[in-house]
Amino acid sequence: MKKTGERTGWIFLLILLWVALIRIGGFSPLILPSPRDVLKALYEGFTQGNLGWQILISMGLVLTGLTAASVSALLFFLVSVSSRAGKSFIETLTIIFHPLAGIALLPVVILWFGTGALSIVFIILHSALWPMVTNLSAGYQSLPETYLMVGRNYELSKWRMSTKIILPGSLPYILAGLKISWSRSWRALISAEMIFGAVFKTGGVGWYIFSRRVFMDTPGMFAGITVVIIIGILMEDLFFGILEKKTVLKWGMSLES
Amino acid sequence: MRISLTVLLVLLLTVSCTGKHGDTVQLTIAEQYGLAYAPLQIAKEEGYISELLPETTVEWVKLGNTAAIREAILGGKVDMGFMGIPPFLIGWDKGMKWKIFTGLSKAELGLITWRDDILDLKDFGPEDKIALPQPGSIQHILLSMAAGKELGKSDAFDNRLVTMKHPDGMSALLSKRDVTAHFTSPPYVRMEMKEPGMHMILNGEEAMGGDFTFIVGAVTDTLHEKHPEVVEAVKDALAKAMVLIKQNPGKASAILKDEFSLDEKEIYTYLTDGSLRYSEDIEGVPDFLAFMKNSGYLKKTPKNLNEIIIGVDE
Repeated sequence: MKKTGERTGWIFLLILLWVALIRIGGFSPLILPSPRDVLKALYEGFTQGNLGWQILISMGLVLTGLTAASVSALLFFLVSVSSRAGKSFIETLTIIFHPLAGIALLPVVILWFGTGALSIVFIILHSALWPMVTNLSAGYQSLPETYLMVGRNYELSKWRMSTKIILPGSLPYILAGLKISWSRSWRALISAEMIFGAVFKTGGVGWYIFSRRVFMDTPGMFAGITVVIIIGILMEDLFFGILEKKTVLKWGMSLES
Repeated sequence: MRISLTVLLVLLLTVSCTGKHGDTVQLTIAEQYGLAYAPLQIAKEEGYISELLPETTVEWVKLGNTAAIREAILGGKVDMGFMGIPPFLIGWDKGMKWKIFTGLSKAELGLITWRDDILDLKDFGPEDKIALPQPGSIQHILLSMAAGKELGKSDAFDNRLVTMKHPDGMSALLSKRDVTAHFTSPPYVRMEMKEPGMHMILNGEEAMGGDFTFIVGAVTDTLHEKHPEVVEAVKDALAKAMVLIKQNPGKASAILKDEFSLDEKEIYTYLTDGSLRYSEDIEGVPDFLAFMKNSGYLKKTPKNLNEIIIGVDE
């Protein structure tokens, strides 16, 4: 609760700064619209436009991509713990693809998958997969040797070893990886949408921002950016916050504390 | 997130604090990429503007799309920009203080498809996508005009657009997969039509129901009020370049070939085959105004055209 209070306080301060900047700077509303204009544009986006749908579409795309990335990351991880060769293969893949920005892959993705939802999901998958793989293996390496020895003592199968000891033991790293993957894929989604145009009829939040930009609706543009920020805060503070509280914090194994 | 907000504010501050000119006049011109801007490129390469304005520092920036040009002008970084009439009108409608001072070119625009079963706008299915530079561009407004006339619904295609630069749109079209049709301009219209199986469903004149100027030049009210002579000089320089293109297309092509990294002969063809006509005339503004107001792209229209065009008397 203390954290929520602090967060709200800082945001409030930033909004005050925003208002002050407008008062002092005398900016044209085309460059820096007032919070009130932005709120109004936000309201109109929901009532007259399709902003509600667009948010759902964007969230749906990210969730699909993240789910696909989680499943693939788990498979990659299982391959990498299964043998020495598997490990070095996955490491090599990570080294090749991790630094590649999703947007750099766009031209190739357009050639392979066209400009529809599939391409966007693929870009999200790419953005989310490698941080997850990296974190999974970092979590594995950080496991105390004792845990593994206990497992071996019980003569656990590879499968049970993975699901009962390795994965729960590296949960703090997995959560950290999920967080990074989420924010990377959210960013990639917004950029990809701005390029690909409307998917599923109305398009998502990224398309909303882009279409506000081309029609020079600056308050609308800010409204779209606000939506992106709010979703980011909600995911970070609420979703991941609660998830951490329920698991790693409760078990006393958080990375931060 | 907090950091990005701070960075944003700092950026905005920087943008608003620069752009004030000193005693010597400084002129920054924004252009886009394409043969429709040929007189501008020739005036630049041959120094026509500096010849007429020896005291003025002329700077050129090349921007990717009209939204970027408007943003640069708003930020005080650019004084003059060249674009289609609709993006100009959108900026004016939203309160930008600027006017059209010259026409630059008329062009053959067209909606081209590879699908044999599509002969008309009504043949497009709900999954068929149309590639064009961006919503609000002249291609998009022309498409909406035609959709209004033929289908009775001007926003019929608005949720089926893919935003692509002309070269990307062309490769998407030629790959015959994701994009059903491409609304484009020279030289891409002719390049695409040369490919087997491509046909044009709609051209710009049909959509508009008449002749219109493709690219116009716009200048900020600030520059025009302070230095009308600068605006005049640019106009004269462009006129000189247009004369060169008309009377000596060979020389014009030679000047342009480096700019476009195209074959000189190819440029010569495009300059002389009638797909591009360079002229200072400004045509079609009233039609765009009427349509865009009726369809809700604009909230207001000028009482008198001289509010948006310099030197028009009414």
